[in-house]
Amino acid sequence: MRAVRPRRVLVTGATGLIGGRLCEVMALTGAFVPRPFVHTTGSAWRIARFPLEFASGDLCDRAAVDRAMDGCDAVVHLARGDDAVMRRGLENVLRAAARHRVSRFVHISSVAVYGSEPPPDSVREAAATRPDLPYGHAKLQQERRVLVYRKRYGLDVVILRPPNVYGPFASFTVGMVNTLRSHSVAIVDDGRNPCNLVYVDNLVEAILLALWRPEAPGQVFHVTDPEPVSWERCITDHAALVGVDVPRVAAVELAPPARERLWRDSLRALADGEVQRSLARIPLVRRWFQWLPEPAKQAVRARLRRGEPVRRRGSTERRFSSDHPFIAGQKRTVPHSSEKASRLLGYTAPVSYDEGMRLTEAWLRQTQILDVLVTRSTSEAGDPSSGTGS
Amino acid sequence: MASIVAKTKGPVRIGIIGCGAIAEGAHLPAVLSSPHVELTALSDLNTSRLEDLRRRYRLGPIAFRDYREVVGRVDAVILALPNHVHAPVGVELLSRGIHVLCEKPLALTRHECEHLCQAARSAVSILAVGFVARFWPSTQLLKQLVASRFLGELQSFDYEFGSPGGWSPLSGYNLARSTSGGGVLVVSGSHVLDQMIYLFGDVDVTSHADDARGGIEANCRTRFAATVDGRPLRGRVVLSKTHQLPNRLRIVGEHGTLEARGSETRSVTYLPSGSTLRHEITAAALPPADAEPDYFQLQLHDFVNAIRTGAAPQVDGEQATRSVVLTERCYAIARALWEPWCDATLERLARAGPHPAPDAAAPRPPALASAP
Repeated sequence: MRAVRPRRVLVTGATGLIGGRLCEVMALTGAFVPRPFVHTTGSAWRIARFPLEFASGDLCDRAAVDRAMDGCDAVVHLARGDDAVMRRGLENVLRAAARHRVSRFVHISSVAVYGSEPPPDSVREAAATRPDLPYGHAKLQQERRVLVYRKRYGLDVVILRPPNVYGPFASFTVGMVNTLRSHSVAIVDDGRNPCNLVYVDNLVEAILLALWRPEAPGQVFHVTDPEPVSWERCITDHAALVGVDVPRVAAVELAPPARERLWRDSLRALADGEVQRSLARIPLVRRWFQWLPEPAKQAVRARLRRGEPVRRRGSTERRFSSDHPFIAGQKRTVPHSSEKASRLLGYTAPVSYDEGMRLTEAWLRQTQILDVLVTRSTSEAGDPSSGTGS
Repeated sequence: MASIVAKTKGPVRIGIIGCGAIAEGAHLPAVLSSPHVELTALSDLNTSRLEDLRRRYRLGPIAFRDYREVVGRVDAVILALPNHVHAPVGVELLSRGIHVLCEKPLALTRHECEHLCQAARSAVSILAVGFVARFWPSTQLLKQLVASRFLGELQSFDYEFGSPGGWSPLSGYNLARSTSGGGVLVVSGSHVLDQMIYLFGDVDVTSHADDARGGIEANCRTRFAATVDGRPLRGRVVLSKTHQLPNRLRIVGEHGTLEARGSETRSVTYLPSGSTLRHEITAAALPPADAEPDYFQLQLHDFVNAIRTGAAPQVDGEQATRSVVLTERCYAIARALWEPWCDATLERLARAGPHPAPDAAAPRPPALASAP
């Protein structure tokens, strides 16, 4: 480890997956001196393992953010939360960063800004954004606000868009384990589509580079693992750790999304003979149906006759929902490329998929997350000290 | 459960020193609903916090920024300050004849604990320590079952307690070793160590590994050895503040296993050897399930009873010192937990740092006269 002069970086969202690992790496390599901004002290255990200078408070408290920024040279904004945190919290951090004239503002966004079915040209960052879910909308609004501060106040901002972040402490990883254990995920259409993963340490590398590389300001970067990993490989590798087999289904066999089910389930209720007979006794309904043109009548009859949805092969009980994140994600056909980050930032993604999975497995085993008994007990109240500690 | 307070005198005048999360969440409700005590003082350095509590709980003018101002207004105090000031504040109050119920851990070091115990003895004041889990029926049951050799010869014990995050002290004292005295071993482990000593007598630590890296540990794995009925007994404690663990104590003996879960304060489970049956054991005098007592109030009443009768409280200073001594011993022999996910990639990630070294005087963006 070479000696570098420390540089103080305010890290918001420091108790989360990425912020926690970022603070760890900064503390252990000495590359920067992190100042974690902590909302809830009880969530800061991972980073409290290091002798760091903590700033605590609420991002929505402008004065608290301003105090935390004092003496910092740069900011990494990772905090997530409710609408107030996403808007007012970000605004407070941007305002304080501009006021304190920090040299760099690294904002962590997401490829969710491209929506659930990203356009083909979103391989590169220049593609049009079209979020369709609240998280993607919130992230896009944040990106726009960050860029306003560059334009209006000359703040040197950098925006990073990671995809699924996996590794130790990752909710993607733990969620995958739990989903596999509950048998609620399947490999859809052979899982051919890219999983768009980034190992948490690779993302940390990109953040460290974004904090000082002169080519970074004003740019938006995808940060992904360069090695293409399909959903089939990702799910199968996690399934091997859990020790379960994963069913394979075709996309047409999935239960439709909730929005579509709302309409279909309503129609199905109407298809019930008794309901139809009741409706037919209502003169207004009868009159309305008679007024319909013949093709429309046929369409209504066909809708009402539509049978039960197709179920998983070999099962009459379980269906896989196309709403489930690990199934919906399999529809994304576009591999987002980190070529720009490699070219401009010198991003190397130093951890391969195989190594990332080995390290993840070591963590899963030591934390007993792969132990079935532990998972069962997570619903139970826990710690002997909860409610009893001083 | 019937009150254990001797009904011979009027209410004990009590103050709460340190008005953080535990004071509001546990001690204040216990005090305000008790007929045996009268709240006559609250003290905290944070005056807005004090005023907020006074307003919300409709308290009189009993709030003081300086804890010394409670002297003369109270017979006893509940000390719920950050761990590192338990000793100086406790010694001062005990020396002035004020009885002290101190939150756990009693203090950061054996030396501090002994100082507190000495102050209590000299002033003939009661020093009780807030190990509230001692008042759980399940703890008392375990004690009876172990003492009566219910399991026959004991073979091992195993504590596994963990959950991500948890208790969030308002002052944030828990984030630094200098103010908390340690990490998960102190916060969660002090209950475990106290119970272990209560159940098995003198216990020694044989190995301890944790993940502290200059700060406080979030995870630890510790092995202990004890002698019960003249026979060696070995045990293991695994604690975490980053992930979920089964949250149970298992004591394995000749005839089977006793299991006490953190979520079940009223009973323990017996799993006989060679059987798939599980037997739930409860105390004979257990109150109905819908009348779960306030264990902090039971602890308070035990303290009041000690004040009135001179009897020892459930956990006195000397007992609480033993768990602090054990904690010190753990930290003295600590080695690093194996964490390849933390270390294996560091050398490569270090290359992503600025080169040459970042210059604090590096040019900054132009002055932002119009900055918001």
